[in-house]
Amino acid sequence: MIQWLPYLFLGLLLLAVLGWWVWDAIVHRSAAELLTPRQHRLGAESVGSRRDLGERIFGPQDWDFVVRETPPQIQRMFQRDRTLLAIAWLRRTRIRTSQVMHAHVAVARQSKDVQIGMEVKLALSYLLFLILSNSLIGWVWLRGPVQTRRIVRQTLQWVAWQRAAFERLMAVVDPANHKALETGFNQGTAQS
Amino acid sequence: MLKHILWWTANFAEVLLLARSIQGKFVKRYPTFYFYLGSVLIVSLLRFAVFTFRPSSYPAFYWYTQYFAATVGYAVILEIYSQIFKKYRGAVRIANGLLLCILAAVILNIVASAVSGSAWPPGETMAALERDMRALQSVLLFVIIALLAYYKVPIGRNLIGIVVGYSFYVATSVMSLGFGSLPGFGSRPGWRSVLPMAYLATLSIWCFTLWSYHANPEPGPESKIERDYRFLSEQTSRILSRARSLLKMGGEL
Repeated sequence: MIQWLPYLFLGLLLLAVLGWWVWDAIVHRSAAELLTPRQHRLGAESVGSRRDLGERIFGPQDWDFVVRETPPQIQRMFQRDRTLLAIAWLRRTRIRTSQVMHAHVAVARQSKDVQIGMEVKLALSYLLFLILSNSLIGWVWLRGPVQTRRIVRQTLQWVAWQRAAFERLMAVVDPANHKALETGFNQGTAQS
Repeated sequence: MLKHILWWTANFAEVLLLARSIQGKFVKRYPTFYFYLGSVLIVSLLRFAVFTFRPSSYPAFYWYTQYFAATVGYAVILEIYSQIFKKYRGAVRIANGLLLCILAAVILNIVASAVSGSAWPPGETMAALERDMRALQSVLLFVIIALLAYYKVPIGRNLIGIVVGYSFYVATSVMSLGFGSLPGFGSRPGWRSVLPMAYLATLSIWCFTLWSYHANPEPGPESKIERDYRFLSEQTSRILSRARSLLKMGGEL
């Protein structure tokens, strides 16, 4: 019976990658196409405030106030709500990195200068990043945002750096769209 | 009884698919795929003739023709590969590299087996030979689908149907033939009915997606594509490694 296992594994692996592709190409992408323009615009407007939001979610000020002024029941409610907020914020951070990867893939698939070694390296690097970011989300879910604020402080520094790098990248990949984003961002900052 | 129903339904579906492709004038768009479908239909009718007039020759005839169908199946993979990647120079370059690696690995394996003299025939029985052929097909399809998903190559309804249907059939074949070629399991009739059922499911997918012609979406305009790949990949690499190292650092705190 053990001789059968490699063939069973191979068949299941093919079905799994097929399922993933069908989900991504048909179900997920059609929904994403409807949502992308709106998300894109919102992203451009709130880039400046996103870091502040993260600092507020993971910062000790609110928690210190709640511990000092409220009964344990309210403290538990606060922790539960903050965990949900923190996870949502981390997911948005992950989406931003995925946008960088998607921008790269959109160019690479049609570029005649594409290098196999570089592509494999990038794919593995992205996979590792996804594993790590999902682990961080899991960690926040388990321990709550207050206990994990030191970890998230590092992430906040990275988000600021990533924003600058992403803008540099978009300036090269798609200058017209980048200019529009920049204008939107400046307007958003001026309004806020 | 179930076998006969499956057999006649599959033949009917194949005739229907071929008729629709000729009527809709899109048989020339996927010539290799329709060649495969036509071959399978002819083989099926020949089997029926052999089963009716020379039942004693049927088992041997079945496995020889099954081997032929598996060989022609490579043409479907070629069709998928050429249709999907023909307008994506980057993706086709990566696909070529990976498929050549697989080919080299298979050749090395065959040469190593020949030199050691242990297992030169790839299979002990026809079922095992077909199993190995389907296993190689599943690896090729795995690479193609993984690249399709990774590069998010947009494809039309017809090609989605061909990829999904054929991959499903190959995956089921690998598992059922792997089970059927185990010592003592080959004679059990149960596993043999899995393949006709899987093939009928595949034909249903093809009937649904290949009822009329749907062209593949065209890639984006050239002006946005011809960017400096080296700069782009360096930037992406830096972003990813920085992201990873910071998350790792966070995990250690």
